[in-house]
Amino acid sequence: MMQLWDVEVKSRKIEIVLILAVFLASLPLILNYGLLILSSFSTEMVTNLDPTSFRPTIDNWILLFEGRLSVTGGVREDVVRYTINTAIVALGVAGVVVLVSVMAGYAMSRMNFKGRSLIMQMILLLHAFPGVALIIAVYLIFRATLPSDIELARIYSFAYVIVARAALEIPMSIWLIKGFFDRVPWEVEWAAIIDGASRLRVWREVMLPMVKPGIAAIAIFAFLAGWEDLIYVRTFLFDRTLATYIESNINVEFAYMPLLAAAGTLYLLPTILFFILTQRLLLETSTGGIKG
Amino acid sequence: MKKNIFSTNKVQLLIFLLPAFLIVLLFYIIPIIITVYVSFTPMRNWNIDKYFNVIVGLQNYNRLFSLITRDPVARQVVMNTVVFVAITLAINVLGGLGLALANFFIDERVSTGFRTLWLLPRMTPIAVYGLLWYYFFHGSSIGMLNSIAMSLGLIKKPIAWGQEVIPWGPWSIIIIVNGFVGVSFGMVIFYSALKSIPRELIIAARVDGASNWKLTTNILIPLLRWHLLFVTTWQLLSLLTTYAHTFLLVEWGVVSRTYGQTWALYVFNTAFGRGEQDQGLAAAAAVILVIFGAILGWITVRALGFNKMITKPKGDI
Amino acid sequence: MVSVRLEKVTKKFGKVVAVNNVDLEIEEGEFMALLGPSGSGKSTLLYLIAGIYKPTSGKIFFDDRDVTNLPPRERNVGLVFQNYALYPHMKVFDNIAFPLKIKKVPKEEIRRKVFEVAKLLRIEHLLDRYPGQLSGGQQQRVAIARALVKEPQVLLLDEPLSNLDALLRVSVRSELKRLQKNLGITAIYVTHDQAEAMALADRIAIINEGVIQQVDLPEVVYNRPKNMFVGGFIGNPPMNFVEAGVEYNETVKLIVGEDSVWLPQEYIEILRKLKLQKVVLGFRPEDVLVLKDERQVEPGSSVIRGEIFTVEPMGREVLLTVMIGETMVKVYAPPTQYYSMGDKVFLQINPAKLRLFDPDTTIALEYLVKT
Repeated sequence: MMQLWDVEVKSRKIEIVLILAVFLASLPLILNYGLLILSSFSTEMVTNLDPTSFRPTIDNWILLFEGRLSVTGGVREDVVRYTINTAIVALGVAGVVVLVSVMAGYAMSRMNFKGRSLIMQMILLLHAFPGVALIIAVYLIFRATLPSDIELARIYSFAYVIVARAALEIPMSIWLIKGFFDRVPWEVEWAAIIDGASRLRVWREVMLPMVKPGIAAIAIFAFLAGWEDLIYVRTFLFDRTLATYIESNINVEFAYMPLLAAAGTLYLLPTILFFILTQRLLLETSTGGIKG
Repeated sequence: MKKNIFSTNKVQLLIFLLPAFLIVLLFYIIPIIITVYVSFTPMRNWNIDKYFNVIVGLQNYNRLFSLITRDPVARQVVMNTVVFVAITLAINVLGGLGLALANFFIDERVSTGFRTLWLLPRMTPIAVYGLLWYYFFHGSSIGMLNSIAMSLGLIKKPIAWGQEVIPWGPWSIIIIVNGFVGVSFGMVIFYSALKSIPRELIIAARVDGASNWKLTTNILIPLLRWHLLFVTTWQLLSLLTTYAHTFLLVEWGVVSRTYGQTWALYVFNTAFGRGEQDQGLAAAAAVILVIFGAILGWITVRALGFNKMITKPKGDI
Repeated sequence: MVSVRLEKVTKKFGKVVAVNNVDLEIEEGEFMALLGPSGSGKSTLLYLIAGIYKPTSGKIFFDDRDVTNLPPRERNVGLVFQNYALYPHMKVFDNIAFPLKIKKVPKEEIRRKVFEVAKLLRIEHLLDRYPGQLSGGQQQRVAIARALVKEPQVLLLDEPLSNLDALLRVSVRSELKRLQKNLGITAIYVTHDQAEAMALADRIAIINEGVIQQVDLPEVVYNRPKNMFVGGFIGNPPMNFVEAGVEYNETVKLIVGEDSVWLPQEYIEILRKLKLQKVVLGFRPEDVLVLKDERQVEPGSSVIRGEIFTVEPMGREVLLTVMIGETMVKVYAPPTQYYSMGDKVFLQINPAKLRLFDPDTTIALEYLVKT
């Protein structure tokens, strides 16, 4: 919808100057992202801004999926498996975050109980809690509860990293989804209650369908949080993900740089995809609903 | 109608809150208690069986303070943290404000593109984001900074900026890398606050002949003062506790360990890093961070009146 | 169908008393309007009956059953909201079927009942649509259908017409009344629009600041308002109020400025009993004869003189604002005469229609002697 935000006689010249200024400030970002993607299609890194070093090829991508680190090297890395592992963690985090937040967020928005306001403030504080102070003890609990059977331990490490990583996202997600619940008119809920539905039923059949955009938002944020994570997967997960793959191979002598650029690009793909598809949703809710 | 146990209000409330409560209990409350406890034990190398039941009192705290006063590396950690937090905070708040204002004055379609771009670092996988700057600051000629500086004739041979230019090289790198992530927080908050200013106010000022500059200093910024306070304290808190990006930069040798390590990263590296891992000492350092964070967070939440944002539910059902 | 009875019902929100010690009885099959300005507590009262709010004190009965502490679903009421509160993600059919689905009514019966009620409200052709695709009036009918489908004991309506445009409102209004009478359902209707209340209701309960002011038939509420609030709230423009002194001689008359106003026998007797020195004279704008010339005044009738302040032609009549001393009153005059600002006029009040109020309690004098 067209809306008049400002008088229309504002200076075009100043606007162009501002656009140029923001563009210049954005240049390092544009170059960094652009050249990473470009390098993944080149035989040599093009990050030196030298156009002569760009020689197009898709070998990097082929090598990547073959699981080789260099043209000659014999080391095999199952990149497809790593991608699946990353996706498992990301989807798991999204699932746990959505389930827990839509339940707690509803109660926080719609149910009255003692200490509600205090709990909401505490939840906000948890979001800002130094994660590094938690991870020591969270790892200690992990060590203490790890099953001795190796296969079981692998599965356990997946489950643990998912829930532990989700726990970091949950405080903000509760706040965010609560904001969405707050905006549903009370009358709709009352209508359902008068129609005889219990709160659980109102939540499931009436409220959840009405906060679908909110659920989508927290699901995307949680997915990306699980997808981007490095610290938790390298600390807890027995298996490798794309993050630990890149982390551990960057300084390997024989690693082929443009190949890592391809790995990075592959790893970046879902993030970019979500950005293009859900630009508006992300821009509006990216700060966790705190719009003060 | 039959009385159903799940239909009473208290039981329903408990059902809704139970999963969140369990998560908070298992991954926040119990860990906090354990961390404080571990800070009183000589725990090292994750030897839980051997050290978990040994209490050494304040020994870890004493060690930490004597390290800070005597050990140059530990003292540098404090220095790094102060410089990193102060400068990055200024960049994040002022940069976020600048970006929001600039985007406010330019065409919405153009600004949407910019704002999305600036949000990207926050969402980019840490390993990929690290990779971008790894290439940017790379100590060889493939590094973007080196090749730019060389083609401008500023330097003759490639420089490992984060290792050789001490201390401002590594400091600048961690500030820039984290700054590009942090600046978007302020940008989004300020931008949405600017957009929610009644447009009549802006039009009236325009009719009175206000330029962009006058409009900004006399109307927009005064209206943003609460948001400025919020972004400042909130960013201060998150800069104190952030470590993931810097961890990679140090791990990959982009910046020197001595001059790139901040307090939060020091905690992580002491507990999980290479060589001897000293969880007792790390826990003590973590507890100090938690105390700082808790005070700051409490001030933020109280001073900014967050309880006003929590409206009471209606009805007695 | 049940009767609804409220006994000394009070509802407080913190320190604010929204509903104050209300006694009210709605008979079986009756259409009762709760009329009051915004913030008067009328909606709160409705939600108390629905069970969304619980009274701070007092009791609510459906017939002789105490429902005070029953949750809404055990009260079997239908509630229509001002904003309709349709479930946006469900088709019209599912919206109407929702209460039955919760009651676990067999599928076939749900279909039958939904079609039945849809036919009653003439929305059969809309069952496949989503609420967002309907007009305001259609959404309104769906909301009523959803409230009716479960055959409630009481139908509660919270300003159901206020989101409709003016023309539609009048036609839906008469339809609603016909529907209620055909079904014989007990209905409680909250509104701030006195015309709506007059047109629809069997009886009107006027509520202000949480207190019931008067419960009566529409014409009684209009003609014999119990206090100045009711007189001032009902009618458009509202009743005029002029302060007057009382002179007790062989007869009793009012003194307004230099003019005397003769009273009907009923009020003479009441005033002799109450011996008030001052009263407030109330009269409706249409109960006045506006005379431009003193010579037109019939001997023996009483007039109050005033000066025209504004003139608003309304078509069928002219609405005059007249200053009587320092007080402004509004009166209707026939458009056959020419009026202009500053004209002296003589207001002859129909003695049968004038009302007197006690200036201290604001209660109408006839109600003062009755109680």
